[in-house]
Amino acid sequence: METEKNARPEMKRREFLGKITRTASLGIIAGASAVLVARSAGARTLWQIDPEKCAHCTNCSTQCVLAESAVKCMHRFDTCGYCKPCFGYFDLSGSADGTGAENQTCPNGALRRRFIEDPYYEYSVDDGLCVGCGKCVKGCRDFGNGSLMLQVSQDLCQHCNVCSIAVSCPADAFVRVTPDNPYPALKGMK
Amino acid sequence: MRNGRKTILLSLLVITAAFAFRTELAGIERFPPPDFESGYVPPETAYPPGRSPWLDVADVAALLAALTLAAYLAIFRRSRRGIVLLALFSTVYFGFFKKGCVCPVGAIGNVSLALAGTGYTIPLAVILSFALPIVFTLFFGRVFCAAVCPLGAVQELVLVRPIVVPRWIDAGLRVIPFFYLGLAVLFAALSDPTSPNFIVCKYDPFVSIFRLAGLPQIVVLTAVFLMASLLIGRPYCRFLCPYGALLSIFARASKRHPSVTPTDCVKCRLCETACPVNAIEKPNAEDEE
Repeated sequence: METEKNARPEMKRREFLGKITRTASLGIIAGASAVLVARSAGARTLWQIDPEKCAHCTNCSTQCVLAESAVKCMHRFDTCGYCKPCFGYFDLSGSADGTGAENQTCPNGALRRRFIEDPYYEYSVDDGLCVGCGKCVKGCRDFGNGSLMLQVSQDLCQHCNVCSIAVSCPADAFVRVTPDNPYPALKGMK
Repeated sequence: MRNGRKTILLSLLVITAAFAFRTELAGIERFPPPDFESGYVPPETAYPPGRSPWLDVADVAALLAALTLAAYLAIFRRSRRGIVLLALFSTVYFGFFKKGCVCPVGAIGNVSLALAGTGYTIPLAVILSFALPIVFTLFFGRVFCAAVCPLGAVQELVLVRPIVVPRWIDAGLRVIPFFYLGLAVLFAALSDPTSPNFIVCKYDPFVSIFRLAGLPQIVVLTAVFLMASLLIGRPYCRFLCPYGALLSIFARASKRHPSVTPTDCVKCRLCETACPVNAIEKPNAEDEE
């Protein structure tokens, strides 16, 4: 056995070098991981929109990598004014009168209007029709209570490492939130 | 005392301003919420729930299982059919089901940014996604690339007839992944933590297959790589993948790796041209006894 070892010195050297490299590499990986875990390991964060920063630019409906955008309009009933002439529902810049589709801000008719009592109407969003263009959000924010807001729908969102909408957002309104509170704006928290 | 009164006045001013500012932050209420007489109760805003944290555990467990199986199939069973089947599974699970995200290749950016110390928080699942394939590479070679990585699995499955890339072209192109790795680390580490610049993810050619959607320029890139993969073995893995560059460094020191059994080999040298990634070298002069 000793002659075999002496006859193949290169193999033994290579094995030795391999062992050293493996041990060193494992040490570096373990060390770096420990540093990362100690310094910054947080829960997985999700993409979300901060409605305070949102510029209502319609990018949310066009920039998502999915064919149907993961951004939807969501409505906070507790801050809504239930106004008869809702500034988010009606496009008041038009010259026509009435509640027809030509006067609605929503191009897909995703905003529903329901009479409660005079003069209050309940407004709700039909998720199936909403594309996340933000036209109703603009009206509500500019002239109303800001109870309509564009939010990332966490069951549709693919949680891409680099969000295409976030990259194109002119107002830099995309933030990372924790999974235990994925819609802080809907609860009135920042 | 004068100072005391000034402090109190200043504090009151600050508190009032803070309240006024706070109302502004909490949302503009131009129209106060109505008092309903008909007994209508505003409904709770319904919203889809966030991602369960247990899914992260499942992701890492799946990665670990796939890596173990790949190592077993490649090193101990030496089963080509097994590898192809596992590649199919990886395409379906890590690719189409998880949409290819978060993957160890993209995790280069996350880890670089986290190590840069700018306050970016990195989930443990992403650290493990990055580290586990490296650990397996140290012991078994690039088994992650073999059948676990969805990008590699797609290339593996569409390869029809590999052509041999001439050695000099191969040698030149093999340098590119290291440059890409350096660029990926730099771009990620120097970017703003709130909107990180992960170029590996942004220009990933295969993720548009898994999402079945993408920006026009990325779809073109996907088509180019897919067509190349029909005839060239693993073009992305060999000539572009930054994680592959990283693994290739560690793989040189791997404890076990696919090898030719010297006692059975008759030096016919057919394996050199058959290998789709040109990984088999000419026999050494020493071996020819």
